[in-house]
Amino acid sequence: MKAFIAAVVAAILLGVAAMLALTSNQKFAYQAFATSGARVSEPGTNLVGPRWNGDPAPDEFAGEPHGKAEGAASHPKRS
Amino acid sequence: MRRALTLLSTLLVAGTLWAAPGAVAPVQAQNPIQADGQNPMGARPTADSVNEEFLFKQAPKITGRISIPDQKAANLIQPQGREYQMFREGWLPWIGALAILGMLGLLALFFLWRGRIITEHSQESGRKILRFNAFERFTHWMTAVCFIILSLSGLNYIFGKRLLMPLIGPDAFGALAQWAKYSHVYLAWPFMFGVAMMFVVWIRDNIPNRIDWEWIKAGGGIIGSGHPHAHRFNAGQKGVFWMVAGFGAAMSVTGLMMLFPFALVDINGMQVMQVIHSLIGIAFIAGILAHIYIGTLGMKGAYDAMGSGEVDLAWARAHHDLWVEQEQARTASGPQLRGRPAPAE
Repeated sequence: MKAFIAAVVAAILLGVAAMLALTSNQKFAYQAFATSGARVSEPGTNLVGPRWNGDPAPDEFAGEPHGKAEGAASHPKRS
Repeated sequence: MRRALTLLSTLLVAGTLWAAPGAVAPVQAQNPIQADGQNPMGARPTADSVNEEFLFKQAPKITGRISIPDQKAANLIQPQGREYQMFREGWLPWIGALAILGMLGLLALFFLWRGRIITEHSQESGRKILRFNAFERFTHWMTAVCFIILSLSGLNYIFGKRLLMPLIGPDAFGALAQWAKYSHVYLAWPFMFGVAMMFVVWIRDNIPNRIDWEWIKAGGGIIGSGHPHAHRFNAGQKGVFWMVAGFGAAMSVTGLMMLFPFALVDINGMQVMQVIHSLIGIAFIAGILAHIYIGTLGMKGAYDAMGSGEVDLAWARAHHDLWVEQEQARTASGPQLRGRPAPAE
């Protein structure tokens, strides 16, 4: 029984270690594939949100516009 | 006067008829198709235009041009993807169901026919011999626990949306599938580590030899009542060992290809990896079901080997007589034997 419990604990620890190692090297798609000339998406306003969970504006991203255009928006002139 | 008007009208109509071909000539010159439908220049713009067939003669897929660094996004048409989808959504669920349910059915029939394999009582009954030490059991259970979770989460990829989602609803299934995916991706690492450790620990006792062939010819003690000779592992156990080593290696390689997508293979390679991973995974599950059966329900006393590590000496003598002789010769009065002192041989 001790060997079994130790095996379960070791599996969990190795799994968590793998998770930390793998996620530390990951980037969001808009970070990995965006260039100065191409914006992949606009996190916070896309359909699935920056975490791909359907939440379009989680709190931790509220203060990070991530490439949103700054300044006053241009409007077409009306005659 | 009337005659003059008629003459003037006639001249006007005749002039119009005479000038009309000249007026439409530029328009006709723009359309080279003649009355018989042939282009005098021999060109067939529609037939000769670039089409899928022409492009597929140059490359197996059709790509476009993109401005982002991810060149995979330039992929427009990849015909193998349709074949992969047909396999993934059409064939794979049937293959998986037949293999796994078929194995469960075979085991049930075998149990009904053979019943539980029981070792006959002997003078050595009640004495224990160490079959697997703590490290071996730790390695086995770490790999086994990971395998069970990987199997269930892997089957969820195939059957979850078909069987589970209608039962628990899309929201609960979505959360469950997400955690199943996490467990599949991260517990794959201790599983791979466990397979490698088991390979190193047990390969010495799993090299096939002549006794294995005799064991197979005798039906392995499963068919019939006799127990053929066997060392530490009989031919059936060696088969499980090499299945785990081979399938484990194949699952690891194809799994790593999917953990690091497009690192070494293209889109077609990714699909091939998924096909291999899923088919071997199903065969792996079916094989391990048989292993679990014979290690628990199918044979009395077998589970103790991996449970406590110690087995009944009579059981060991019946199923692994050559190994028992070897162990007793090596540690006749040593720590291998518990209970009553081992008789000197």
